[in-house]
Amino acid sequence: MPPPRPIVAAVLRPYPIARCVVPFALAAASPAQAPAAARAPHWSYQRLERPTPPARDDGWDRSPLDAFVRRTQQQHGLTPAPAVAPAAWLRRVTLDLTGLPPTPAEVEAYVADPSAAAAARVVDRLLASDAAAERWAMWWLDLARYADSQGYEKDLLRPTMWRYRDWVIDAFRRDLPFDQFTIEQLAGDLLPQATVDQRVATAFHRQTMGNTEGGTDDEEFRVAAVIDRVDTTMSVWMGTTIGCVQCHEHKYDPFPHREFYELFAFFDQTADADRDDDAPLLRAPTLRQQAMAKVLELELTRLRQQLVVEAEPFAAWCAQQRRAQADFAAAAPRLGPWHALGPIVVGDFHTAHTAAFAPEREGVRLDNEQEGQRWQRRDDQDGVVHEWRGDNSVVYLHRTLHAASAAQALLSFGSDDAIKVWWNGELVLDHEVGRAALPDQERVPVSLREGDNTLLLKITNGNGPSGYWFGLRATALAGGAVAALAVEGAPAGTGLLALQQQYLATAPALAAVREAIAAAERELDAQVGPEVPVLQELPADRRRVTHVHRRGNFRDPGEVVTADVPKVWPPLPAGAPHDRLTFARWLVSRDNPLTARVIGNRLWSELFGAGIVTTLEDFGTQGEPPSDPALLDWLAAELVDSGWSLRHLLRTIVLSATYGQSSAASAAAREHDPDNRWLGRGPSFRLGAEMVRDQALAVAGLLTRTVGGPSVMPPQPDGVWMQIYSGERWQTATGPDRWRRSLYTFWRRTSPHPAMLVFDAQSREACVLRRQRTNTPLQSLVLWNDPQFLEPAAELARRVLAEPGLADDAARVAWLWRQCLLRQPTARETARLLELLASERGQLASDTKAAAALAGGDPGRAAWTVLASVVLSLDEFVTRT
Amino acid sequence: MRDPFHALCRRRFLAGSGLSLGAITLRQLHGDLPTRPLAPRAKNVIYLHMEGAPPTLDMFDRKPQLDRFDKKPCPDEFLQRERFAFIKGHPLLLGHQHGWIRGQNGIEVCELFPHLAQQLGDCTLVRSMVTDQFNHAPAEHLLFSGAPRPGRPSMGAWLSYGLGSENQNLPAFVVLLSGGSLPSAGKALWSAGFLPSRHQGVEFRTVGDPVAYLEDAPGFDRRRRARFVAALNDLNHEHEANHGDPETTARIAQNELAFRMQASVPAAVDLASEPAEVHTLYGSTPGQASLANNCLLARRLVERGVRFVQLFDSGWDMHGTGPGDDLMTQFPKKARQLDRALSALLVDLRRRGMLEDTLVVWGGEFGRTPMNEARNGSTFLGRDHHPHCFSMLLAGGGTKRGAVVGATDELGYRVTDTPIHVHDLQATLLYLLGLDHERLTWKFQGRAFRLTDVHGVVRRELMA
Repeated sequence: MPPPRPIVAAVLRPYPIARCVVPFALAAASPAQAPAAARAPHWSYQRLERPTPPARDDGWDRSPLDAFVRRTQQQHGLTPAPAVAPAAWLRRVTLDLTGLPPTPAEVEAYVADPSAAAAARVVDRLLASDAAAERWAMWWLDLARYADSQGYEKDLLRPTMWRYRDWVIDAFRRDLPFDQFTIEQLAGDLLPQATVDQRVATAFHRQTMGNTEGGTDDEEFRVAAVIDRVDTTMSVWMGTTIGCVQCHEHKYDPFPHREFYELFAFFDQTADADRDDDAPLLRAPTLRQQAMAKVLELELTRLRQQLVVEAEPFAAWCAQQRRAQADFAAAAPRLGPWHALGPIVVGDFHTAHTAAFAPEREGVRLDNEQEGQRWQRRDDQDGVVHEWRGDNSVVYLHRTLHAASAAQALLSFGSDDAIKVWWNGELVLDHEVGRAALPDQERVPVSLREGDNTLLLKITNGNGPSGYWFGLRATALAGGAVAALAVEGAPAGTGLLALQQQYLATAPALAAVREAIAAAERELDAQVGPEVPVLQELPADRRRVTHVHRRGNFRDPGEVVTADVPKVWPPLPAGAPHDRLTFARWLVSRDNPLTARVIGNRLWSELFGAGIVTTLEDFGTQGEPPSDPALLDWLAAELVDSGWSLRHLLRTIVLSATYGQSSAASAAAREHDPDNRWLGRGPSFRLGAEMVRDQALAVAGLLTRTVGGPSVMPPQPDGVWMQIYSGERWQTATGPDRWRRSLYTFWRRTSPHPAMLVFDAQSREACVLRRQRTNTPLQSLVLWNDPQFLEPAAELARRVLAEPGLADDAARVAWLWRQCLLRQPTARETARLLELLASERGQLASDTKAAAALAGGDPGRAAWTVLASVVLSLDEFVTRT
Repeated sequence: MRDPFHALCRRRFLAGSGLSLGAITLRQLHGDLPTRPLAPRAKNVIYLHMEGAPPTLDMFDRKPQLDRFDKKPCPDEFLQRERFAFIKGHPLLLGHQHGWIRGQNGIEVCELFPHLAQQLGDCTLVRSMVTDQFNHAPAEHLLFSGAPRPGRPSMGAWLSYGLGSENQNLPAFVVLLSGGSLPSAGKALWSAGFLPSRHQGVEFRTVGDPVAYLEDAPGFDRRRRARFVAALNDLNHEHEANHGDPETTARIAQNELAFRMQASVPAAVDLASEPAEVHTLYGSTPGQASLANNCLLARRLVERGVRFVQLFDSGWDMHGTGPGDDLMTQFPKKARQLDRALSALLVDLRRRGMLEDTLVVWGGEFGRTPMNEARNGSTFLGRDHHPHCFSMLLAGGGTKRGAVVGATDELGYRVTDTPIHVHDLQATLLYLLGLDHERLTWKFQGRAFRLTDVHGVVRRELMA
């Protein structure tokens, strides 16, 4: 055995302690220092108070937050950068708030009137748009570790998870207050009279990975999921990294080992338990589906009223049925014995069903060997299921029917599994299906000819038992109805009812109504909605007892704990049950010092490229301290006091003078403040993975603006979904789904879209607290060669040549430039693109193959495709400046 | 007239450092990177991972007692407080199914490995590897990232972070796949985790482009791409001059590197350029996704300065549920492929003088039970997952030559001498590359993470 490892003692040598703060646990452990009670708590644990903005009067400010920023700038010897040009401000704010660029027309309108009132109108328009809801959903889905698959080895798909993603989009569209947003996702199922949507919201914590690998212990992975819920909740809302406490006391922050499991206990009472099918699931029709279902139910009621028995056609139908029964009786069909050939074993089920073996190719030869086997007589009784065995195998069955005279008849079959039927040599039934054999699964009307008729069956089995069922009668009419017909005169009583039922079900006169009903029923079935994994609390008699896991090992349970929040924070309200709902409400209570600060900081980071606290996920002693604590607290207070409106806070920030500064800066200014911590200039950073692609699709006019629905599969290189067990395939969309926004791209944890990964999207195996922002050669290759960027380039080339009113190539270059970058090109920029245009036109005139690839053979347009691809690859294009 | 093609091919990029400009500050912010690495013994690593876990008991760890007690019930103590992935009830011991030969230094090895037997004089055979995990995905995560769940940076990413690249035209960390399927733990095995994403392993694929999006799109030849990049970067320079953003400067350089990679990667992976004698040695055939091809490719990449080449060869999960995973059919098939390819790699590295600087590691994610699995009464012979002991081979890069380290009990169930945990392997590997596993860290979620988690001991027993 390996020597025992001193786990706790070996934990990490300390790294330099954060500058401005004294860590709790170290202080507590060190008697030489002042007692903990004598010092103020760590800054982020202090109660949130609304700071008063410094008094100011130089006319720069447009928002109270500017006063804080100006004070900080002054402390660092900075003056504000000039305001960014109106067109650039519009591009910045539109990309930031919606993830999409403005149109040139929107730019023109704003440049014509860049007043403060116009800016406010722009921001209100943007924030109310579907695009903004999608953009902020993208932000949240990273934190929610949203994915369309389970993760781990098999990584089975979760094809219904989009229903939760659409809930998030809808929440942002409604500006659902963040406190309610929190409560519904963490404990929507526990709300009184919870709606379907409130329960769907709890799929936030069903994004945890599931493991279906052979031999795994479900409890081990259930525990891993609950730990992930604790970690994610603490990181996303509380900016607290508590993962290490699952094994030992926190080295720096004030969390004893036990308190991790007290938090764990909140999440330990749900019914999910790493089941392969992700149970429990909730049937969750969308609002649209619910509305459609109501409409369809009305339609069905209307249609069913048309399905009635009318005297005259019914009488004619009865007469016809009588004749059919009489003809069949006169024909007196005599059934010969069955002969069987098989089983013939084949590699797979589909091949077995479709391949033609000797009886099909050559006809039945009862006296000869066929497929190396002889036909065997079977004395099977009709009307009974007969069975045999043989995986992936075929059995042929043959018999003759002798009729004294011609008549119509109905053949009836059951089969396990697939079936084909030939009547007098003609294929009359072909059903590739997997099922057990039951009576009367298939009905085939046939014409009996006088003399011998032949019947050939092919039964194909997948695995397990195989078999068939056979019956013969005159028509589809069942016993009671047949008896009623046999009586002279008008039918009556129960016989009449049976006949009427048959009439409604089969009369050709009513076929159109029946088809309409069937279609409406099928459509209604499609409105039942997806089954979504949700949180569901265990009933009182099945609740788990939560223990401390010694050294993080769930098989080594320590003392029993009950749900509670760490002592360093304010307690839960007295008398409230210690459950998820109380916990969720506590997270967004006014007494909680962290959530508002953490969320305010996250929003700031989305708009400025870095947080006021740069460690978005860690507001503890090991995180970075805020660059401007008063600014952070003011933002947090503004968020809470606005009724937790994220939209209000975003609006406040983007309308500030701070946000409106130009991001251009001299080398000296950058050296003075390389990371722009003191906000002496506007923010500038590369767009995220989703936005880089969405912007290219948008400027080309290709973007499909459908909101929500199942995830889609835009082009990706072959072979990315090389999977271990599953047969799922990436089926590249060819219609409008090819150009949906990137948040709808199918997200498989073991194989995320490679172009997204290259631009720093994460696999979402755990909550992504903060995306890296890198700058790599692989990004260049995506921009140059990925069809997702070349198709927009080709479309831009088509449009620039079709655009009316462009006098010459310089005007076309200007159009292309404006379309993508929303500004006029400089003379040098125009000249450089014209130079490239000239060289490519010249080369492509004689290179028909390249011209064909770039623009369907038009060398002029092909040269423009090259130009457009250059513009879509520009640093300025992929950056919001 | 300007010739952008040649200008781009010649241009030097960020001489020497291999880092983007932002990276230096990031590193100072997050990591505790030793300023003076230890004296390195190896410069590069070729890590051959046999996905599924090969039956090393039947390859490198002969147990006469196992043959003696073949088909007898295993000792009761094997079953106490044990979980197996598939074995149920009281399993029977299973003797070796193939004979044994003596290789260099008298080391015994399975007869299916005649070539490898002649290379053992250059290898350290470790018979006493230990892991904590008995399922593929967690065991692979543990082996390559130090923790049994996805999310941490992998070994190659740590090395890329710690040492950077030796070649400005190729990635530092390259992954090669053979055997037909991904490893159980998927692409997380070459993830950069929380490290900057440029440290993530780049999969060189055998189908389509070796690197995704590498090949120029239809309609672009090399010269058009050169004119394209020249225009693109001229325009980027305009923006740089007006805006002054260092990220623009970095992107200009990355565009140039991308352009050069488009030429250098296909050249590096062009196995057809190797002489026939080399293909005979490896048993390689250009255009296939085979272990032999990947061994040859690994040598070519290391030759060009790729820091860490990670090979994954699937098909080694010898449960004995059928002829596709048993000891009588599948194992000899895989053994033949491995024997020739790995031996060729060692021969080739040695004759090129590269074995000194290149650490070659061969192994699986865990061992296999001395008992026959007999899942659902299967009559095919195979062994279940077994974390308590397995063998690995190390060669070159400062490891011992012709040595055997560690031992297991007489039935091959547990280690009896010199247990080497996978965390120890990680610590030792970093040490040989000149890195202290306790100091190569990255701060994330409030703590400093490292490859060896909170464990790992550098094992001198493995070093020359």
